[in-house]
Amino acid sequence: MELERISVVLRPRAPREALDLGATMLRANARAVWSAWFAFTLPVFVLCNALGVVVGLPWLGLLLMWWLKPLFDRLPLYVLSRAVFDRAPGWRETLRGQRQWPWGSTWAALSWLRIDSNRSLRLPLELLEGLPRRQRSARWSVLRRRIVADASLLTYGCLQFELVLFLSVWLLTWMLVPHEWLPDSLRDFFRVDVHAASTVWMLLTSFVAYLAMSAIEPLYVACGFALYLNRRTQLEAWDIDLAFRRLRQRLLANGKVLAVLLACAGCWSLPAHAAVSPQGSQVVPATSLEQVFQQPVDGADRRFADAAVAAYRDPRFGGERKAREWVFKYTPAPQAAPVSMQPLFPGFAGAVAMILKLALWLLLAVAIAALLRFIWRWRGTRVGIDAVPVTPRQSLRAQVQVDAPLPVDLAAAIRALWQARQQREALALLYRGCVEQATRLLQLPSSLDMTEADWLRQAASMADRTRAQRVATIVRTWQFAAYAGRYPDDAAVESLLAGWPVQAGSSA
Amino acid sequence: MLDTVREIETPEGISLHLRAAGALPRAQAWMLDALLRMGVFMLAMIPLSLLGVGGNGLAMLLLFGLMWAYSVVCEVWMDGQTVGKRTLGLRVVNADGTPVTWVPSVVRNLLRVVDALPGVYGVGLACTLIDPHARRLGDIVAGTMVVHTIELPAGAQVPTVAAIPPPVVLAADEQAALVEFAERSGQLTLQRQEELANLLMPLTGRRDTAAVSQLIAHANWLLGRA
Repeated sequence: MELERISVVLRPRAPREALDLGATMLRANARAVWSAWFAFTLPVFVLCNALGVVVGLPWLGLLLMWWLKPLFDRLPLYVLSRAVFDRAPGWRETLRGQRQWPWGSTWAALSWLRIDSNRSLRLPLELLEGLPRRQRSARWSVLRRRIVADASLLTYGCLQFELVLFLSVWLLTWMLVPHEWLPDSLRDFFRVDVHAASTVWMLLTSFVAYLAMSAIEPLYVACGFALYLNRRTQLEAWDIDLAFRRLRQRLLANGKVLAVLLACAGCWSLPAHAAVSPQGSQVVPATSLEQVFQQPVDGADRRFADAAVAAYRDPRFGGERKAREWVFKYTPAPQAAPVSMQPLFPGFAGAVAMILKLALWLLLAVAIAALLRFIWRWRGTRVGIDAVPVTPRQSLRAQVQVDAPLPVDLAAAIRALWQARQQREALALLYRGCVEQATRLLQLPSSLDMTEADWLRQAASMADRTRAQRVATIVRTWQFAAYAGRYPDDAAVESLLAGWPVQAGSSA
Repeated sequence: MLDTVREIETPEGISLHLRAAGALPRAQAWMLDALLRMGVFMLAMIPLSLLGVGGNGLAMLLLFGLMWAYSVVCEVWMDGQTVGKRTLGLRVVNADGTPVTWVPSVVRNLLRVVDALPGVYGVGLACTLIDPHARRLGDIVAGTMVVHTIELPAGAQVPTVAAIPPPVVLAADEQAALVEFAERSGQLTLQRQEELANLLMPLTGRRDTAAVSQLIAHANWLLGRA
């Protein structure tokens, strides 16, 4: 593990905030995660459902896909763990790479640890650290302290999210597709017991559940991984480690101290375990839809039907006539007469109801009065508020390239700018040159966030009074020019160009 | 560098860090609020059910208030926190970090209808997962966001030792790292402390335990102790 290459901001976070970091990591690596995810899970999904259809238990696909989640979890974790420290791997690389990870914990998660609310936290510990069993349990007890509740809440939260997405798809279909278009079998599907549901709908359910799982399961793994990173940051002060390394780099680069490089890097130990390929069952998908339900045999009394037909033909019952009328589409269901509970205080209840009714009428009256008053007040005014033409002010914005290196002959460059009537740019260049020289003189860390006031303060602390005076003068000149638009005359500029900060070699 | 922080720079050059709250904490806060409102409504129904038609009217008014006014009132008068958000340490703020005001609050709570769309908050969830600052549609339209407010408890007090000034001038973030090290060294194992302190050999010129105590002395100097 090379901590310098980490691509997330490390700082101790509250566990809940760490969860959000997981979502951010997933968002940043979405393409890599989901390409690997679908490349592996889609064939498995097809296989599982085909198996269910062949065996005659269409719900089996749904169950199997849920059961195999710990197996799928390895993929997002592989992508994210690589992406955080290096770069996101492609899907082929992911499929190949995660096979090298230990399999023991995955088998455990698939069998006796299947219903374990801490799976998201266990995954990085077992797959990334790969410690032997005894050390692992000790490490687990340290790692889970203080965040085990958050890991459980994460599991239940993700379960809810999956349910929400699953239901959303069905409900949106129900709301947006006209009801005439929905086949009758869908209505049966909702009414009848799941076991008796037709295979097509069961497979569709399985597919929607798979989509919901695909959306949420990587999030679950990413959030667990973020919790793990945060806990290790807490335990091992990774953020301080990084800051110290940067400081050390600066000090060594400054050449102040010659120190021996110390090797103190841990490493993700990745023991190579024998690869075990998942046992895919070789089944040929076969689809045979049998018509299970038959039309019920007409058991009505034949003679009665004939007699009834004859009776209706009798002219005394009137012939047939056509009548057209509009019928309300949704006939309200006949409501049972409401069992009215006798209120305890009939008088009081009536009074409250009366007061509310009066209040409503009063509200209406007030609203109408307010409306009338509004119309009365604004009756004469016109809408036309002419836009006053605004003369745009001359923009003072000037492009200054901060990162560009200073010219070698600073004085000449400034003089050229000054004579070309680019006074502001000339003074900006002068100020920058002065700042750079002062930084070199004081051996300060190079940072861009020092203000003019900071430089005046730094100048006050300089040992050489003459130089301090010159820095203060240049800063002041620049301030007057930048903030007040007051520029010095040519002689003053010439005097600033002579001597120390611009002519770096000169004494003062 | 990936982070959940939205950084805003004020005209004075001060950068504010808003730590955006994601879908999971927000869902938990919503669940708490929903349970609370349901409890209040049920309790209120006990006396109101005795009042017949008038009681029913009052109950309807209460339900309306709980559904539409609760969030707005809480957000405007309780620092942008409903009860659930306060429990989980979340807060609604305007996108520029200022406290949320009436109009944004009303807009974001009216648009809750859209976010709740198929009846189970599916649209809101999808939007929160996709948006980089985990805002739902109502937040995007109203120009608000939900942020974490809880600060992690800082480490222990820096142990007081005789202060030693560092030999070179340190930048602000380097000073912060030194103080952080001194504060949190109590939470680290001894070996880890020494490992970290050894990184700064060029600064302290010492190793192991001596380096740790030297760094803590520097931190004391940075904190302004004599």
